[in-house]
Amino acid sequence: MSIVVREVEKAFDATPVLRGVSLEIPDGELVALLGPSGCGKTTLLRIIAGLESADAGEVRHDGEDVSARSARERNVGVVFQHYALFRHMTVEENVAFALRVRRRPRAQVAARVAELLRLVQLEGLKGRYPQQLSGGQRQRVALARALATEPRILLLDEPFGALDARVRQELRRWLRRLHDELHVTSVFVTHDQEEAFEVADRVVLMNAGRVEQVGTPAQVFEEPASAFVMRFLGAVNAFKGWVEGDRAFVSGLDLELVAPASAAHRARAHVFVRPHELDVHRAPVPGSFAANVDRVLPLGAAVRIELSAPGFGGMVEAELDVRRSEALALAPGDAVHLSPRRVRVFPSREDELDSLTASGL
Amino acid sequence: MEPLLDYPFMVSVVPALLRALPVTLNVTVVSMSLALPLALATALVRISRVPVLRHVAALYVSFMRGTPLLVQIYLAYYGLPKVLNHLGDRYGWSLDVSSIPAIAFIYLAFTLNVGAYASETFRAAIEAIDRGQMEAALSVGMTRWQGMRRIVLPQALTIALPSLGNTVIALLKDTSLAFLVSVVELMGEAKIQAARGLQFFEVYLVAALVYWVICIGIERGMAVLERRVRRYEGLSPA
Repeated sequence: MSIVVREVEKAFDATPVLRGVSLEIPDGELVALLGPSGCGKTTLLRIIAGLESADAGEVRHDGEDVSARSARERNVGVVFQHYALFRHMTVEENVAFALRVRRRPRAQVAARVAELLRLVQLEGLKGRYPQQLSGGQRQRVALARALATEPRILLLDEPFGALDARVRQELRRWLRRLHDELHVTSVFVTHDQEEAFEVADRVVLMNAGRVEQVGTPAQVFEEPASAFVMRFLGAVNAFKGWVEGDRAFVSGLDLELVAPASAAHRARAHVFVRPHELDVHRAPVPGSFAANVDRVLPLGAAVRIELSAPGFGGMVEAELDVRRSEALALAPGDAVHLSPRRVRVFPSREDELDSLTASGL
Repeated sequence: MEPLLDYPFMVSVVPALLRALPVTLNVTVVSMSLALPLALATALVRISRVPVLRHVAALYVSFMRGTPLLVQIYLAYYGLPKVLNHLGDRYGWSLDVSSIPAIAFIYLAFTLNVGAYASETFRAAIEAIDRGQMEAALSVGMTRWQGMRRIVLPQALTIALPSLGNTVIALLKDTSLAFLVSVVELMGEAKIQAARGLQFFEVYLVAALVYWVICIGIERGMAVLERRVRRYEGLSPA
């Protein structure tokens, strides 16, 4: 079932949480709502579910306006952040409950519950109470319960938030496989970029009650639409500079832009370089700037170099593959030169400047 | 020197006190049974913010908690017949107020009193249930009322149970005030027996022991009940 959200606004006690959010999710897609805490992603999910009502705008499921319908009438499966399993019921009763409330025939309920428990691999634990299960098991019960009535939309609020790293990893892959099997339109909320990228077909980036960008993981990472998206997705070096035509300038350094920035006239801009797009040299090369190595941190497949570049606002981070790092044999205190391979520039909005400065970049 | 206690006399009053015990238990059980639905309804009215009624409920709870039980008993026993007579005269009901047994006023006073206290217990217990439980109920297709009845209330009752156990015990002991309006329950009988031989200490000591034994019984019963309803809680993951 497709989902359309149009110009949705929501405020809690006069504090705006969603400021005109529009979004289209085609049938069968698995979408992540990604953003920092307080960006409105959970509120948006709850409005799609019918657990919260929008102050303005509409929500359509399969073209039909469901804005006025309650959660009960929308037939949407919801997996809650802390699972909200019915504590006084066994695993089996939790899953069967929605069907029993709908007065489905007994045999049909039993068959459906057995099928769901097999799907989430909990057949052996059907007599347990939620308190007797591990976090990952509870999560799977919540999922089975949400799927019991064969909803055509599945909504998950920070589904892996409360689990430890290893279980989270497993469940992510499992959710992806499950989605590929069932093809139910799914939306999940997360603040974890890695999680969104690993699981979702498309990612909706949200910030301060607005949608910043919608795209596949590759799209939003390679072609971020705003400074916010650039910063939010992975580590980044940010410099304050100028942009004019297809060139950017930072502290006297003249950088060529891959995609020309939109500024026809000289304008203040944020200049971003991802750590893995920053080359490290022993000797100066054209377009490089000087820096000193502070720390060398091996991260497995890559090595992170922390440097200070006094002309460039302080700390800079570079990421090298192990081979390059070995060839350079960097040690703290070494003087090196850095040259960006790829630069992204976003014109500054006046209102952004303070918050960017405040974040220390 | 005379012994402190007249043991043979103490033993001799036990049968008389035990004969009065059913009245005590009757008042306790009937009042509690009527008070629980009243308490639950009051709590639900206040939690779901039913217009007008919630203010009535709040006023009721405030009054019952803010006035002494003994005063409430007197108001019910002396005041209510007067009110009924007055209303009867005014609207021409053929109502013989004097035919209403005293114990009815006792039921009324205790029911209203316990109902007010227990409603606060229910209210706190319902509010202690995570909001997510109701949302989960709605999301699987239950109505708000179904969610309340089948998801929230069963869990709330579990939380309320220990406190309700206390309420039962308090009620049992408070029924000893009933003799003040001529209902001869355990305490009333004790007073009669004591007056006869002027052996107040002995009789009241026996009465105290009877109350105590019954309360111990109630405590035990509640403990068993609590374990039963809590079977889904506090179990470690296996």
